[in-house]
Amino acid sequence: MSNREQRLAWRKTGGVKTLRHELPVTFGALAALGALVAAMSGDSFTLNILASTFLFAGLATAWNVIGGLGGQFSLGHSVFFAIGAFTVSNLYLGLQVSPWLALLPAALLSAVLGVLISWPVFRLRGPFFAIATMAMTEVLLSLSLYFDRFTGGSRGVSIPFRAGLQNMIFRDRLSYALLMLGFLAVCLVVMAAVTRSRLGYSLQAVRDNEDAAAAAGIDVLRTKLAGMAISAALTGMGGVLYIMYVRVADPPTLFSLFDIGVKMALIALIGGIGTIYGPMLGALLIIPLESWLRAELGGSIPGANLIVLGFILMLTALFLRRGIVGGLKRLWSRPGAAKGAGR
Amino acid sequence: MAEFLNIVAIGLLLGGIYSLVSVGLNLIFGVIRIVNFAQGEFVMLGMYGAFAAQVAMGMDPYIAPVVVAPALFALGCVVYWILLRPLQGEPMMQVFATFGLLMVLENVVLALTRGVSLSVNSAAAQISMSLGPVQMPLARILVLVAATVVAGALGWWLRVTLPGKAIRAVAQDRKAARLMGINVERMYMVSFGVGAALAGLAGCLLAPLYSMSPQIGMNFIMPAFAVVVLGGLGSVAGAYVGGFIVGLTEALAGFYLDPALKHAVLFLVFIAVLIIRPAGLFGVAGAEEVGLREQS
Amino acid sequence: MTGASFLQVQGASRHFGGLRAVDAVSFDVAPGEIVSIIGPNGAGKTTLFNLLTGQLPPSSGKILFRGQDIGPLRPNERARLGFGRTFQISQTLTSLSVLENGMVGAFLHHRSLPAAAARAAEALELVGLAKRAGHRAGDLTLGERRRLEVARALAMEPQIVLLDEVMAGLNQTEVQDIIEMVHTLNAGGVAFLVIEHNLKVVRAFSRRVIVMNRGKLLREGSAEDVLSDPEVIEAYVGKRRA
Repeated sequence: MSNREQRLAWRKTGGVKTLRHELPVTFGALAALGALVAAMSGDSFTLNILASTFLFAGLATAWNVIGGLGGQFSLGHSVFFAIGAFTVSNLYLGLQVSPWLALLPAALLSAVLGVLISWPVFRLRGPFFAIATMAMTEVLLSLSLYFDRFTGGSRGVSIPFRAGLQNMIFRDRLSYALLMLGFLAVCLVVMAAVTRSRLGYSLQAVRDNEDAAAAAGIDVLRTKLAGMAISAALTGMGGVLYIMYVRVADPPTLFSLFDIGVKMALIALIGGIGTIYGPMLGALLIIPLESWLRAELGGSIPGANLIVLGFILMLTALFLRRGIVGGLKRLWSRPGAAKGAGR
Repeated sequence: MAEFLNIVAIGLLLGGIYSLVSVGLNLIFGVIRIVNFAQGEFVMLGMYGAFAAQVAMGMDPYIAPVVVAPALFALGCVVYWILLRPLQGEPMMQVFATFGLLMVLENVVLALTRGVSLSVNSAAAQISMSLGPVQMPLARILVLVAATVVAGALGWWLRVTLPGKAIRAVAQDRKAARLMGINVERMYMVSFGVGAALAGLAGCLLAPLYSMSPQIGMNFIMPAFAVVVLGGLGSVAGAYVGGFIVGLTEALAGFYLDPALKHAVLFLVFIAVLIIRPAGLFGVAGAEEVGLREQS
Repeated sequence: MTGASFLQVQGASRHFGGLRAVDAVSFDVAPGEIVSIIGPNGAGKTTLFNLLTGQLPPSSGKILFRGQDIGPLRPNERARLGFGRTFQISQTLTSLSVLENGMVGAFLHHRSLPAAAARAAEALELVGLAKRAGHRAGDLTLGERRRLEVARALAMEPQIVLLDEVMAGLNQTEVQDIIEMVHTLNAGGVAFLVIEHNLKVVRAFSRRVIVMNRGKLLREGSAEDVLSDPEVIEAYVGKRRA
């Protein structure tokens, strides 16, 4: 086929979005969030909510790399979150390493651990993979309580308040909101880069059909491991930022199945599994809603926020499987195409 | 020696608890191929049901199943029809849906009880029996007996009775069963209901053993997953035997290694079995994959 | 035989418990040849395909490709060597677009997105799916899905393509399209191994036909000879009516 013909064929496809097409959208979204922070810069209550919204937006985006693109529904990502947190607490408290520098070993350690524990578990599919990741959380939680030299055992770790940029500890809430926005930016750019790459397509092929993917020349296990490593590394970095933000945490909090592992997956599901911006939208909806519910109802009805979240989860599974992003896309496109969109 | 026998007895009695809790979970998985993450919450509801029956009618928790099990059967049917029937062939959405159900059930009970932990009492709960050097509380022995009776009865029911045979037919080949005139959807609903009722029964019998909290379901579901995977997916005998494997592992690891590590050991064994023989010791090889694929 | 250095199957067997799904099957395929495999349902044709592409490991026997024993290689490694295939029950990547399905195959030899997309677009053009490039693969008709699978295999720039009942459920025009497409590609040097029930198609396709029955290779020879062999007719037609 000649060059001209090739170009013709290429034009007929309407083109494929590359990272260069994607990044303007990514930075546009981040700029909008930056403007939101600027507008709220005097309101430390809102800044706090924004900080945890951005943190969870980043975490859900990180989960989405392997959970959404790769279709491996891990419920055990709190493991990497905790590894990140304990890496920084040991490096910072023990060796006076700046938390900024600790981000790198935290990410690396999480990625390595992600590969090591996923290697055997990736033989399992669907719900069995999810169950095994849950069991993995239990194993590592009890190990972390046992080896209390690194984790502080059931007392956990606490990081003394020594404000300063090099310590990643700040007096004002604005800095934390911006810090978490920076984390979200990293996660979004990584997710965009993965999605618009061969790895992204390989992950999606593996998610849709492992046999077909292998027949097309994709190394299924290596693809899953690569996705898990990236996802775990980002999650580990999130753990670093979290513990520097709250400064006190114990293993049950960091390894929490509901508050970390499931929540990451849930936010991604509600926003739109496998999409670049879905998890971010999910977090923008869920985290403020949750803190509002906790403030409004938490005193009178304990657990009310979790009741609402549970219902949202069930309703999303039933009626909005492709999340907010999928729902919006369906509204956009012709009504005829909507039939297949639910699948 | 006496010490070892005591540990084994503790393990076996714990195994009885796990067996009883897992039978329903495995029935649901075996027939409908749904992994019900909310099964522990059904057990929790059973416990609170026993409490409610005692407060309202002065019923002994060992008689409470007469009302609690039918109530959970009805709840199970409703849950299946509304929440899970539309999600066939969507294994991951089933995970999310049953997880959402778990959160709702747990926190509704939390909201109703305001987090106050409750307990029921029964005359039987005070009695302890001794067999040589081994001390065994009667309440736990009753659970062990119940687990044995339930596993035996369920196995018999599935093998001999007409509805049981229909359920097995549906589990083996839903298309063929449909062609034979079996109402597959109704069989699924009944199976889910029976699974929930068994959890309710377990909850009643466990009520005198534990002080109740809304989060207690979580303590059951993880060992129950281990039981089901170890024993064999979809096998009644597997769930029964698997319960004892898990109970003994936990008791022995807790005593000889370190109580803090007993869960780590248990789940490492569990993950190892999951990887080496995913169908479990009694299951049919490949069931875990077939189960996922046959849903369409 | 000229095919001695291309694809050689030597006594390949696969047992499932006591069932010999494929039982000591041997044959060769020459470069650029089209070979059809026929036989009644359950004859072991698809299992044989799975042995060739690595979905299943053989219980015994050897499979050589260009002189190399590919028995231990996994499906993706065989794809890299030049094996493309379709599946009996079509396995499209339903959440991706038609073009992206093609791209997944094209990535085998093209790293960048635009290059893979261009290659995929070519493959779609060949199977007549170019107009549907932007649609979700899950929204395609059965016939389109089968063609899409062929396109994905072609985008891999394979040396041999295994088509597993790719005509099933297609209408007359679609069948004709695929026959033409196979001939076009074959003229370019791609070998084909085709499982097919439609004997008209078999005649149109290949000079050489292999007949399987109960896991064994029953006959091998020119289409004319094999299809008029009384034993073949009995095994094939008799079983199919049964």
